[in-house]
Amino acid sequence: MQTPHSPLPLVVENLTFRYERRELPAIKNISFSIQPGQIILLAGSSGCGKTTLMRCINGLAPTIYKGEMSGKISVFGHDVTQLSLLQLSQHVGTLLQDPERQIVASHVLNEVAFGLENLGVPRLRILQRVDKTLEYLGIDHLKYKETFKLSGGEKQKVALAGVLVMEPKLLLLDEPLASLDPASAAEALKLFKRLAEDGISILLVEHRVEDVLAIEPDLIMFMEDGEITYQGDVKGFLEIADFSKVKLPAEIVAQRAKSIQFPQRTRSFEPDTSSELLRFENVSFQYRQDLPLTLKNINFSIHKGEITAILGHNGAGKTTLVKHALGLLKPTSGTVYLDGKDTRKMTIAEAAHTIGYVFQSPTQMLFAPTVEQELTFGPQNLGFSKEEIQKNVDWAIQTVHLEGEKQTPPLALSFGQQKRVSIASVLSMKSRILMMDEPTAGQDYWNYHSFMSSILDMPGYDAILFITHDLDLAIAYANRVILMANGQIIRDGAPEEVLKDISTLEKAHVLPTSLLSLNLKLLPKTKKFLRAELLANFI
Amino acid sequence: MIANFGYRPHQSILEKIDPRARWIFAFCMLFSIVLFWDLRILSVFFVITLIQFFVSKVTWQETKRAWIFILVLSSIMIFINTIITGVETVGGTIRGGTPLFSLKIPLFETFYVLTVERLWFALTQYLRIISIASLFIILPFTMDPRLYGVTFKGLGFPDKLAYTMDLAFRFIPTIARDFNVTLDAQRARGFEIDKGKMNIFQRIRRMAPLMVPVTMNSILAGEDIANAMDLRCFGLKKRSWIENLHFKTGDFVLIGFSILILVVSLYLRFGLNLGDFWMPGMS
Repeated sequence: MQTPHSPLPLVVENLTFRYERRELPAIKNISFSIQPGQIILLAGSSGCGKTTLMRCINGLAPTIYKGEMSGKISVFGHDVTQLSLLQLSQHVGTLLQDPERQIVASHVLNEVAFGLENLGVPRLRILQRVDKTLEYLGIDHLKYKETFKLSGGEKQKVALAGVLVMEPKLLLLDEPLASLDPASAAEALKLFKRLAEDGISILLVEHRVEDVLAIEPDLIMFMEDGEITYQGDVKGFLEIADFSKVKLPAEIVAQRAKSIQFPQRTRSFEPDTSSELLRFENVSFQYRQDLPLTLKNINFSIHKGEITAILGHNGAGKTTLVKHALGLLKPTSGTVYLDGKDTRKMTIAEAAHTIGYVFQSPTQMLFAPTVEQELTFGPQNLGFSKEEIQKNVDWAIQTVHLEGEKQTPPLALSFGQQKRVSIASVLSMKSRILMMDEPTAGQDYWNYHSFMSSILDMPGYDAILFITHDLDLAIAYANRVILMANGQIIRDGAPEEVLKDISTLEKAHVLPTSLLSLNLKLLPKTKKFLRAELLANFI
Repeated sequence: MIANFGYRPHQSILEKIDPRARWIFAFCMLFSIVLFWDLRILSVFFVITLIQFFVSKVTWQETKRAWIFILVLSSIMIFINTIITGVETVGGTIRGGTPLFSLKIPLFETFYVLTVERLWFALTQYLRIISIASLFIILPFTMDPRLYGVTFKGLGFPDKLAYTMDLAFRFIPTIARDFNVTLDAQRARGFEIDKGKMNIFQRIRRMAPLMVPVTMNSILAGEDIANAMDLRCFGLKKRSWIENLHFKTGDFVLIGFSILILVVSLYLRFGLNLGDFWMPGMS
């Protein structure tokens, strides 16, 4: 361990950074320091400057991202501006947000070795260090696997191994939980804790504050508009933090939200079991004959007025299931009826009249030069008349509140706006069921709730179906939960029925949350599940 | 679509050969083949490449798409260049010739004449193209993707360029998956690729809903990938490679053979002036 006189892993003093082509600085007057083995949680909403701060510490700014920097950053006593990327990499390791986009090699061994190869370390020495790192992270069994075929959690561990093998003493983690399901996220957090215990200092950027609290960070910093507005211990943060901007434990939100009035829903959903929109009948599916079944004997119907959450861990078969609803996949055995018709006997374009599918990432579908043309694409493909198209497009733009952006290229919009364009481009087809894949993925906490609330208030469709691994999303917004595990539906019903049984959740690899426990505790009074802020009235 | 393209071990003798030797062989063969228009000489090359193809144990099923692509493309080219226009393709060697049948072209008061020479020339072109194609088509199917970087490094390419090969193979499946996701997303919006009759430009325009998102995603991902590589010191100094290759006796034999082929070819072509267009009956 360090002696009291050795320099600190990281000291930031009055740091300000402005990107070359921007007028205003991205971060202003940042000062903090990290002790050896400390974990600092840096929270804040999208665009608050978290990423810029990281880039300043790891040297990407101003080396790659040009701009004007003032103040001082020292890493183990060295001024970072005096260190080359090569020298800096001996001290600082960075794990970027999306593991898929930082794994550069086709196989695990080669990926982990990449950094040391670049440093020109002799081959045998590299192989030893790779083995040591893989063993440390408990992933030696992945050594010869192809990186493309790993699960999200495995990918992240491999990416982490590729950073740790270079033996940094300071680790920067950029929203490491964003692409993981809750079980993998919990596992990743435990791993970070262990790294800290072994002496590595960690700056963890994450807006899933509640999750990170489980590993007791030594210090929390909260950033808004490029400035640190809170810096202190966890207890103090929980007292002052804005719970509409960061996710706090449900108990605390409920206590603190007492004085706040929430606007009522403008649209109410009442399930009407006489009106069936979609029915799965004994549906089983396998991608190839030599592979195991991905879906096993699925039976359920979707009715008017239902907000259904299909909940399950990554790989449970959720996406495969919803692809069947639209006929993108056809069952190996069994039948899917859409509006009473067998999906085998209809084209996807016909199915789109009944069911609109919004994919997870808007960049996967946006292509048109203007928002208006983007919205025209769907109804045009479905053969709507000119007047009808215009009417639908105008209505869809209004519904997502983007009237001012009609002529803007969708790709020039912010992520949240793009997300709304992608919803509108499906709404404009006037489908009766709105089906969404992880609707809140990639959004910070505030956007997450405002987005979901605005969708639930939209008129124009009869039912919502969304797939998610986020238990709290299902609790807060669904009136029906279908719990999936290993290709099967293991429970189906009202959220308070399906989710009350912890052993069922365990079976589905779904981790209970503080919102669930509080809801279960208050259920006798509330009669149904509510989001944390609304529970305040019952405490 | 493109995802079906990939390496799996075939347990063939070819995979035991050092990939550097295989690439040297492929390049020597390529440079030799392009020297000749003589069907007799080309047949020798054709047989060699065919032997290589069968030794590789690569199946028709695996390479079907690649072959169809190459055959369709080359057929169009050969048809236009040789059968329709290509009278002067090889320095006038087949000007005139033996007419097979002729066709009066109405407006221009002239005749189109298909000659036996043109047909033989087309055949020669096919033989060249198929030989070259079978040399290179089998490489990605029989070469461990981990070895591209170190192979090209071993052939004298600079570090950065050599590693680019590794990177390409890493991201082929990712791009293929992105493409499929986008295809599904657009089909969910009623998009159909083959909708009615379209000319080639309409077809290309119609691909925009697929190509724009896939391209944009690749560009966005590119920034992250570049950052990840910079942060791990890529290209800052001479790198080492954990994959290593060792020439064995057999590899030297293959390299020797490859060089011999090239030298003999060069001698035939430029020393003895052999190898111009030939067909039965010509001296």
